[in-house]
Amino acid sequence: MSAAFETRSETLPLTSMGEARDFFALLKPRVMFLVVVTALGGMATAPGAVHPVIGLAALIAIAVGAGASGCLNMWYDADIDALMARTAKRPIPSGRIQPSEALAFGLTLSIGSVIVLGLVANLLAAAMLAFTIFFYAVVYSMWLKRWTPQNIVIGGAAGAFPPMIGEAVVTGDFGIRSLVLFAIIFLWTPPHFWALALVKAGDYARAGIPMLPNVAGPAATRRQILAYSLVMAPVAVLPALMGFGGLAYLVVSVVTGLAMIGLAVRVLRTTEGDAAYKAAYALFGFSILYLFLLFAVLLAENSLGLMWALPKVLG
Amino acid sequence: MMSEDGKPALPPAAFSPEDMARRRRRNIALALVLGGLVVFFFLVTLVKTGPAILNRPL
Repeated sequence: MSAAFETRSETLPLTSMGEARDFFALLKPRVMFLVVVTALGGMATAPGAVHPVIGLAALIAIAVGAGASGCLNMWYDADIDALMARTAKRPIPSGRIQPSEALAFGLTLSIGSVIVLGLVANLLAAAMLAFTIFFYAVVYSMWLKRWTPQNIVIGGAAGAFPPMIGEAVVTGDFGIRSLVLFAIIFLWTPPHFWALALVKAGDYARAGIPMLPNVAGPAATRRQILAYSLVMAPVAVLPALMGFGGLAYLVVSVVTGLAMIGLAVRVLRTTEGDAAYKAAYALFGFSILYLFLLFAVLLAENSLGLMWALPKVLG
Repeated sequence: MMSEDGKPALPPAAFSPEDMARRRRRNIALALVLGGLVVFFFLVTLVKTGPAILNRPL
């Protein structure tokens, strides 16, 4: 841990004064929300059905597991979080929660969520949730993040697993459908995070994290963002071609996919001053809406009976 | 500093009224979570066991 963080720790009270909302913040609620939406997408598109109470219970377990991995990430990264403006106000670096409390909270929720998912759903889903937590908290947070500029590319797999866990909850297995959903999130992660990294390059440099803009430079990052967007957008149309996305999904995935590519082109071309900052931030913000829309439409079509089916072209 | 019976005196209470209110709010949240878990496991047990759980010999 850095000297700055140790100095701060010395001033912490011996007994935590953290409130419930601080513990909730440790779970990264916005990430948890996207995990819930994508896991629901996996459950809704799975060939089969599950009792609504079991589905809801499994979804809660998946969300808590995702939150637990976020908590373990915040515990491990508290030293670098304290150095970055974006994360300095998180519960641990700001002193509202002590590191040992966050570790205990994260481990308890990790173990609890995996056990509960195994009991309410099945062992495969539980094993996949355990692997996802391990991948995010250990492989990404402890190893990749501070070591390679490909950190978020490989680590992105952790965020891409929830649809596969969702399908495993329903069928006890996973197939091509959730693999396609995995691929969409996996390819979405680099443009999403690198757009943020372009904006926050100073923060990451201060913390010594080898994000792509800091290692390969902003120009190479802009090219990579466009390259990933060009691959991601067609892959995101696949559910419509494979018969588990309907007409609404086809329209939304094509229109928003073109918008993602358009914003990535703007990021590539706008390299100077405030406009460059705004272009990167616009892509970052839209990417969140993009992923949410794709999965929300899939969910509505597959579980609310709103599917206007298209002829199956692939799969 | 020593107390009257010769033992080391305990430090004065460190919690301000605001700290106590914060702890109280945290304890209430914890109670709600535990209550929620009870309902959660009850409902899951009912669904997994099925309606037959109510058919028990009297």
